[in-house]
Amino acid sequence: MSERATSESTARHPTRLGGRGRGAVWIPVGVVVVIVALLAGLFAFGLGRNPTVVQPVIVGKVAPAFNLSRLDGGRTLNLSSMRGQVVVLNFWASWCADCVVENPALRSAFQRYRDQGVRFVGVSFEDQSGTARGFAKQMGMGWPLVSDPGTNTAIAYGVTGVPETFVIDPDGRIVAKTIGPVTYSVLSEQIAHAMPGGA
Amino acid sequence: MDRLGTFALALSLALAVYGATAAIVGVRRGRPQLVESARTTAYSMLALVVAANLIMEIAILSNDFALRYVFENSSRATPVFFKVLSLWSADEGSLLLWNLVLAGYIAAVAFRFRRARPETLPWALAVMYLGQVFYLVLVLGPTQPFAAFAVAPPDGRGPLPLLQNHPLMAVHPPFLYLGFIGFTVPFAFAIAALVTGRLSDAWIRTVRRWVLASWIFLTIGLMLGALWSYGVLGWGGYWAWDPVENVALLPWLVATAFLHSVLLQERRGMLKVWNLSLAVGGFALTTFGTFLTRGSILSSVHSFAQSPVGPMYLGFLVVVLLGGFGLIAARAWRLRSEARLDAVLSREAAFLGNNLCLVLITLVVLVGTIFPLLDQALTNRQVTVGEPYFVETTAPVFLVLLFLMGVGPLLSWRRTSLDRLRDRVAVPAAAAALTLVVLAVAGMWNLPAALAFGLAAFVLVANGQEIVRGIRAFGRATGRRALAPVAPAVARDRRRYGGYVVHIGLATAAVAITASSVFALRSDVTLTRGQSTRFAGYSLRYVGERTVQQPQRRVLIADVDVSRAGRDAGDVTPSLNMYPSASEPIGTPSIRYGVLKDLYASVIAFDDSGNRATFRFFLNPGVMWLWVGFGVMALGGLLAAWPPARHRRVSPAEPPVRELAEVSG
Amino acid sequence: MADDRDAGSRRGTHVVAAVLAVALIAAAIAIAVIAARGPAAPATLQDRVRAVAVELRCPVCQDLSVADSPAPLARAMRARIAAELSAGASPAAIRDGFVRSYGAWILMAPPRRGLSLVVWVLPLALAVAGCVIVLVAVRRWTRDRPGVSPNEPSAEAPDSRDESPDLPAADRRLLDRALAAAGAEDPE
Repeated sequence: MSERATSESTARHPTRLGGRGRGAVWIPVGVVVVIVALLAGLFAFGLGRNPTVVQPVIVGKVAPAFNLSRLDGGRTLNLSSMRGQVVVLNFWASWCADCVVENPALRSAFQRYRDQGVRFVGVSFEDQSGTARGFAKQMGMGWPLVSDPGTNTAIAYGVTGVPETFVIDPDGRIVAKTIGPVTYSVLSEQIAHAMPGGA
Repeated sequence: MDRLGTFALALSLALAVYGATAAIVGVRRGRPQLVESARTTAYSMLALVVAANLIMEIAILSNDFALRYVFENSSRATPVFFKVLSLWSADEGSLLLWNLVLAGYIAAVAFRFRRARPETLPWALAVMYLGQVFYLVLVLGPTQPFAAFAVAPPDGRGPLPLLQNHPLMAVHPPFLYLGFIGFTVPFAFAIAALVTGRLSDAWIRTVRRWVLASWIFLTIGLMLGALWSYGVLGWGGYWAWDPVENVALLPWLVATAFLHSVLLQERRGMLKVWNLSLAVGGFALTTFGTFLTRGSILSSVHSFAQSPVGPMYLGFLVVVLLGGFGLIAARAWRLRSEARLDAVLSREAAFLGNNLCLVLITLVVLVGTIFPLLDQALTNRQVTVGEPYFVETTAPVFLVLLFLMGVGPLLSWRRTSLDRLRDRVAVPAAAAALTLVVLAVAGMWNLPAALAFGLAAFVLVANGQEIVRGIRAFGRATGRRALAPVAPAVARDRRRYGGYVVHIGLATAAVAITASSVFALRSDVTLTRGQSTRFAGYSLRYVGERTVQQPQRRVLIADVDVSRAGRDAGDVTPSLNMYPSASEPIGTPSIRYGVLKDLYASVIAFDDSGNRATFRFFLNPGVMWLWVGFGVMALGGLLAAWPPARHRRVSPAEPPVRELAEVSG
Repeated sequence: MADDRDAGSRRGTHVVAAVLAVALIAAAIAIAVIAARGPAAPATLQDRVRAVAVELRCPVCQDLSVADSPAPLARAMRARIAAELSAGASPAAIRDGFVRSYGAWILMAPPRRGLSLVVWVLPLALAVAGCVIVLVAVRRWTRDRPGVSPNEPSAEAPDSRDESPDLPAADRRLLDRALAAAGAEDPE
């Protein structure tokens, strides 16, 4: 701290600049610049994406089978019985605000495609059947609704929250997955794509 | 109100710019008055930043919801205590606090060097002012705490429920900030040393105590974070290897390494470039930590909501890395020092091992934390790097570090003969062996945990032995007996004894961590009203649920009677807190702390009528000693940092000197 | 008198050496015993569920395992793991099932395959590299050994320069030598 200490310590531990010529300094500096540039590039990439959105791996795989009882107590609904048709599988809950947001889109798509043999199925996620039924009635969800005891089907489909919507082609393969509320345009495009001969 | 705050900040920015400019111009043009004015500017800048913080606090306390920050983070129903805390509970406000701490450090540096002026001071001040400029630009630009609505809303949204659940919110961030921002000082002086070419030991001696202070604050901050995770979050653990937790650990590891390696530079002249790198690296890690926490490049419990300032933080980080390591590469790379190591069996070698281990852990944790980003960039796929990875990769290194903590104090500087080492290691080794034998007999099968316990015993006994030995030797040399030599012996050598105490604290924490990780018991159970369950020797009966309505939330409390061997042992009352703004309830655990083990209860869910409740019960052994160990570490650090007593004239007539005259003949 | 002291210190040395030897042997045996004991087979179903669940990441809570997380989805996943274990599925098959549904990120630690192998190999590589660097440096630094210069503090003497800067230098040297002679450390 005092100048005396400085000169003392310098005397104790002499510091010489070893010589290799001035040009050699660019090598270590260059290494630093390259490493920092790589790191900066990586972090810039990181800034550009939303870390909470997970890429779905289940797209392209065979849709997991299910055989679930309906919310209103009717017969069970089996996925394999819908083989040969496009299936839109929507996971929803009465406590889910975004499900309210996407409801008009779902209803419009349902109306539009029901005559073309597209089946809509709604799976209740972590909900009580009473509240779920009430919500569905209020929202005018006119398609078959099933309950998912133990959340097993949702887990099989890799669902992390609601709403999530899957489009399954007539061969039973998942061709699209949407996390968050769907829009009519996106959903209809996915359905059209899934239909046999679809573009 | 908002204009006043903004004005204070803008004026501070002007002062910071002036300070940096004046310092640089003053030192380059040889005008000491300019440098002096740059130094004293720190005081007025601090005053202005304090004012800005006070203005925000007043705005919060007076429910001035015209300020967007107050609207988003406070409400009329929020209790006063938590209103005060909401200054730092979200991004913009916590940046105000960050600016305050940074300004405080600059003023402290200015004050500390008001008389003794090292040559590196002007450049160090300039670097610190430039750092302040960056953070002031943030609060005046993209992250404005004083942004205001045209029309004031009637009430605020209130703080995030998790952040108003517990008073620990009060102290966890400030201590962490004090630790993080403290790294600015060694960084600034390292840069100054590089720029001025004064690469001898002067800058080390200057910053040593500042690094120690940062280390102490970080130790306490980390402990408070663990305490909050354990006592508030309710998942039963204290460390989740969350990315934000990891980046708080990294500077602490670097600081620990630095505190050891500076000793090597002071004594033996070695590791000059290494120490510069540690100073730069430590500060870069704190900057990276800020970037990661606020730039949301990784998902984390702590991440503040998506904010537009990511590129700015990234730019600052790049400047720090390029400037710091670039200067090292350009200036210090060719440094040759007359480093000398007398023997491999020496304390110096142990210190080298210590640095190797700590930096290795730092690199592994850093790579593990950013690897998901790298993997996604290269393969467009996502992976998780979580607890199993970090534990598996760092546990062996921590074990080696434990060993070094025990054997280092037993080794002498420069050279230790095998005889001497054998004499000193005998008792600690016996303690370790005894521990291992007891564990083997008791049926232990977990080898890493057994090694951890054995090594911890080794560390505790070795450091205790050295403390006693050192004090005894001093007593013999100065003719004092019994407890009389303790104070002067320790006072004469605070760094050494402080270090021993820190090792003891860390070994205690290691025991606690091992015990709670390996021997914890858990039970998930759903109970109806009146039903009991047996768990870990306790009988737990769910009595019922009751509701307490508070202004800011509704609390559902589950009363659970605890009895042991038929005798009543109190109760635990885990609860669920329902906040109006949250869709899901926040749980609060109920913990019966114990010396040997904690009984920990959290309630996961109630059914509608409260007749059934789902619980998680934990038995966590040894967690108490984690807090004790951390506390001892902080105390050891304080001891090491304690400044020397004022100069006292030692007259020849004083007995100690006379005895020495006799001894030396 | 000197002989007695020598004899006494020789006996002391023998005792110490014996203690150390016994300690090292006992420790080695204990370690061998502990290592030879495999981990206790998980007793209850809850333990077996936990063993699988700690390796899976809760999709809802960041950075908590399915075992630790209180979230409803994690509870459901634990129930499913219990059901599959009871049906006789192996832990590996259960894990693979979750990976098929959610992707590799559902695992708490990256798989040791492909690019992720790097993150597993790196710590070992860094450790080896670090050891090599330190060994080379130590080798270089111990090559020349200068004699003890008179300005150096004697070994083990505390750093009096920092802690007692007020002592006049002469007194400090006296104190250092006295401490050394009193048995704190032999000057080496």
